[in-house]
Amino acid sequence: MDMTAGGVPARATASEGEPLVVRHSVTTRLTHWIGALAFFVLVMSGLQIFNAAPYLDASGKSNPARRVLAIGAEQNSAGLASGYIALFGLRFPTGHVLGYTDDGLGGLAPRAFPGAITFPGFQDLAAGRRWHLFFAWFFSVAGIAYFISGVRRKDLELIVLRPSDLPKLLPMQLYYLRLRKNPPHYGKYNPLQKLAYTLVLFVFSPLIVLSGLALSPGIDAIAHPLTWVFGGRQFARLWHFAFMAALVGFFFTHIILVLSTGVVNNMRSMLDGKYELGHHEGQGP
Amino acid sequence: MKRRLFLATGSAMLAGCSTVTNGLTQNNAVMRVIGSAEALNHLVIGTRGSAQLFSERDVDRDFRVNGLPTPADSRYQTLVRENFASYALPVTGKVERPQSFTLNELRALTSLNQITRHDCVEGWSAVGKFGGVPLAKVLSLVKPAADARFVVFHCFDRDDSNNPYYESLNLHQAAHPQTVLALELNDKPLDPDHGAPVRLKIPTQLGYKSAKWVERIELVANFKNVLGGNGGYWEDQGYEWYAGI
Repeated sequence: MDMTAGGVPARATASEGEPLVVRHSVTTRLTHWIGALAFFVLVMSGLQIFNAAPYLDASGKSNPARRVLAIGAEQNSAGLASGYIALFGLRFPTGHVLGYTDDGLGGLAPRAFPGAITFPGFQDLAAGRRWHLFFAWFFSVAGIAYFISGVRRKDLELIVLRPSDLPKLLPMQLYYLRLRKNPPHYGKYNPLQKLAYTLVLFVFSPLIVLSGLALSPGIDAIAHPLTWVFGGRQFARLWHFAFMAALVGFFFTHIILVLSTGVVNNMRSMLDGKYELGHHEGQGP
Repeated sequence: MKRRLFLATGSAMLAGCSTVTNGLTQNNAVMRVIGSAEALNHLVIGTRGSAQLFSERDVDRDFRVNGLPTPADSRYQTLVRENFASYALPVTGKVERPQSFTLNELRALTSLNQITRHDCVEGWSAVGKFGGVPLAKVLSLVKPAADARFVVFHCFDRDDSNNPYYESLNLHQAAHPQTVLALELNDKPLDPDHGAPVRLKIPTQLGYKSAKWVERIELVANFKNVLGGNGGYWEDQGYEWYAGI
C-alpha cells in the first residue's frame, strides 16, 4: 500500500521501527482546530437561535402550510407538559428531550432544544446571535485559509474525490464492514475518507456559510440571487439547518473513526503533525 | 459498569455545558470581545443595494403582529378614538428647521408603496406592502445639522416595566431610498396593532429596527443621553444596533 504519497519521512524511530512522516501541515492543523472550535460554538449557538422560532418552512416567507419541521410543547394524555417533534406534519412525542426540556438553569421550560446543547444554556437569543456571528468569522476564515494553503501545497489533490476513486468506494465499504479481506489500493486517504472530506470541506461547509449569509436582510439587499438560489429566506434557514445536521453526522462518524483507528497516532498527527506509518492498515478518521 | 460510568460522565458533561456557556455569556469582558463582530459585520455588509421587492400575490394579508403590546395608555387610546386627527409627528433635535408633521402633511409628501419582506430576528419572515413617505424626504425638509449623526424614533409603546420602545438609524441608513415612514399596510391605513398611525419600515435590516407607533423623531450626535444609551430598546438588552444580519 502506498502510504507515503501524502508525507515526507521525518525521522525513523529506532524503538518501533516504523517511520514517522509529517502528515498534516501547520496550516492544516491550525485551521482544523480553529474550525472545530468554531463549529462546536456555531452548532450550539445556532440551536439557541433556532429556539426563538422552532420551525422550518420550505418557503420564501414563513408559511405553516409548507412546514417541514416543528418542535413544540403540548399537554400529554396525563395533562402534563411534554414535548413533540413534527416532521412533515407527523407528530412524535419527545418527552422532556425536545420541546419541553432543560431550560439551562436546572428546570424545565417550553423550548425546542435543551440548554445542555445550546449556547448559552439559558434562553437568550441576543447572546446566541452574538456567539454565532463572532465564530462564523473564524469558521469562514479558517476554511478559506485551509483552502488557499491546500491549493498552494497541492494537498487538495490528495483529498478531493476523483472519478477514478468511484469504483473503489464499494470495495472500501466492504472492507470497513469486514466483508472483504483487503482494502483497495489508495494513497494518503482512502476513497471513503475522500468522499467524506470532499463533501464536508467543499460542499457542506461552503453551503452552510452561504445559506447562513442568505438569511441576512443586508446581504439579501446586495445579492438577491444568493437568497433566491436557496429558495428564499425561510428555505435558506431550512437548508442551513440541514447542512448543520449533515456536518454533525460527519462529526460523530469522525470521532468514532479517530478513536477506533489508533487514537494516539491520529491525535498526534493533528497536533504535532507526525504520523506513524504502518501503525494502522487501511482505515482512518 | 463501564457503560454506567460512560452514561454518568456523559450527563455530567452535558449539565456542565450550561454552567460553562452561561458563565461565559454572563462575563462582560468576554461578551465585549464576542460583540466586536458587530462592527465588522456593519463594515462589511453595511446598508448597500436594495431590498428585494415582492409581488402582490406574495403579500401576507394577515400580517403577523409581534413586539411589545399595542399601547393601552389613555393618550394613545384617545388618538385611536379620534382616528389620529390631532396626531402630529415632531422632528426635533439637531436639525436646522424643527418641524411637526400632521398625517395630512405626511400624506401630501412624495409617497412610496413597496412590497418587502419583514425579517424578524426570531427567524420568521412575512411579506407586506408598506406605503408612506421616504424618511429621506422628511429629513430633507428639517435639514439635519452638521453634527447630527443619528435619527432616533421615540415610540408610544411601553414594556411591562414601563420602559419606552425606541430605535435609531444613522443618517446613511435613514437616507436609503427604501427606508420609509409607513402610514399604510396592504393599501389600508395602519391599524393600531400594526403601529398606527406611523411606523418605520427599513427592509434592509431585521424587524426590530422598524419601530411601530412612532411618537416623535429626534436627531442626535450620539446616544449618551438617549434612554438606555445603546440606540434602541432591544439594543439595551444586548441585541445588535446594526441589524443587517
